[in-house]
Amino acid sequence: MNAPNRYELYVLEEGERPVEIIEDTKIPNAATIKVVKQDHTLGNLLRAQLLAMPQVLFAGYKVPHPLQPHFLIKVQTDGTITPTALLEQACTKIIGTIASLEATFKKEFQMSNIGAAVAEDAYGTGATTSGFPGDRDYLDF
Amino acid sequence: MSQEKDPHVRIQELKKDKVKFVLENVDLALANSIRRVMMADIPTIAIDMVEIESNTTVLPDEFIAHRLGQIPLVSTNCDEAIRYTRDCTCMDGCKYCTVILNLNVACNEEGKTMMITSNHLEVALWGEEVDQSMITAGDELSKRPDNFGQPVGKDEIGVEPILITKIRKGMELKVRCVAKKGIAKEHAKWSPCSAVGFEYDPHNRLRHTTYWFESDERAEWPLSDNAQLEEPVKEDEPFDYNAKPTRFYMDVETDGSLGPQEVVLKGLQELQTKLANLVLGLKQEPEAEMATGADQSLPQTNGHPTAGWGAPAAGAGGWGQTSPNGTGAGAGWGSPVAAGAWGGSPGTSNWSAPPAAPTGWGTSPAPAGSGWSPRPPGSAGWGGSSPQQAGWNV
Ligand SMILES: [Zn+2]
Repeated sequence: MNAPNRYELYVLEEGERPVEIIEDTKIPNAATIKVVKQDHTLGNLLRAQLLAMPQVLFAGYKVPHPLQPHFLIKVQTDGTITPTALLEQACTKIIGTIASLEATFKKEFQMSNIGAAVAEDAYGTGATTSGFPGDRDYLDF
Repeated sequence: MSQEKDPHVRIQELKKDKVKFVLENVDLALANSIRRVMMADIPTIAIDMVEIESNTTVLPDEFIAHRLGQIPLVSTNCDEAIRYTRDCTCMDGCKYCTVILNLNVACNEEGKTMMITSNHLEVALWGEEVDQSMITAGDELSKRPDNFGQPVGKDEIGVEPILITKIRKGMELKVRCVAKKGIAKEHAKWSPCSAVGFEYDPHNRLRHTTYWFESDERAEWPLSDNAQLEEPVKEDEPFDYNAKPTRFYMDVETDGSLGPQEVVLKGLQELQTKLANLVLGLKQEPEAEMATGADQSLPQTNGHPTAGWGAPAAGAGGWGQTSPNGTGAGAGWGSPVAAGAWGGSPGTSNWSAPPAAPTGWGTSPAPAGSGWSPRPPGSAGWGGSSPQQAGWNV
């Protein structure tokens, strides 16, 4: 009855900031970044990318409580770059990786669709094409 | 991450409702994030509210509503073709944010059991009965295929419809269903995936798992099909404890609401959107602190930049590899703020009040937060384990 809306788990509230940077006062070049309305999907991905970067001394993430929709990511760098800037770099790097992955996927799907169209009557795209007139695809819109 | 080589994909099988592929030269974390995002973050539409006019079947109203909620509906191009009700300006649903499906079946035949199935659901056309003055018009409708919102496989030959209930003479079911856009984090009925297979290292060369066995490990744990694509571990092979998984076998099976191709590509886009919004947030953070109370200057970073990647999103300045532009440096870096916040749990009493009680039966009665999909590997407590962690308590 008084349950909060489910979408509050993943939608920012009006004016809510997506990140909060908490600088570490006891450790040099370290910060904890609170990422709101995100979960392991992003936390673990960023952690892995940060650990692969040479400037990083420490990187770890945690979801402090499963009912609180945020995670914390802690980064310590070697001092050549701030943790925030490095996290930003990590994001851009992953975006680049995914973009190239996306391109290869598109190519692969195209090839598979051509092969499948001959074999089993335009199978492959499933519901994607069935509703559209002619050769139009939703990607053409 | 394995950035030495470009990521590689090989599609092994592509069917109407599933795709099997091998992902190479990517990190375990990335492969797992792709899996998670495909299962839980891609919007589809599903029946979310059921107004029951008449139900004389053997099943109670809630039961019917729950069953209707889980029928997959064609959700092609859901990103652009429909709005979230919470983002719509209408008061109580309109053609831009809801799809109405009617069901009206009665049995009048003696001695026969009649099946009420998903084939009886008819998408209703929106009339002008709704107050149009509140609604901001959009081009959502033009982005929909003809069968948008219909139960998957409706009246298609060779596709078994989904049984809702069975009735005998004198029974009837008359309901009006309101389908809305949502994602699987709210309720699993919105997931486009019915299953996502995920495997790596079929020979367990990396020893990420230990097999329990009665007497013979090999006999009791038969190898998967994917094992034929990799070299088995030799008897005298030394264990490489630095080795990392690089090949991932994924099998994405959808419920038909979206095609497998759309699921994979939308999943990748969704992941990029998440990262992009984080970068936007990081960029804004220092400025926002300086301009006191300038909260309204924050562009909403929640929605999906519909223009896809590459385009500069809401005042973000172009993307690309240009980034460490010193954000976060300077202004107050290292200044003591909020020490001791670590470990403490920030207060969370700001759950907002629920909206006025909805009429009709909701179709998602499950309790919140019921432990969604499996955790990424090694995520208990701190997810990190770096070789350089030098004395840190992880
Ligand atoms: Zn609306």
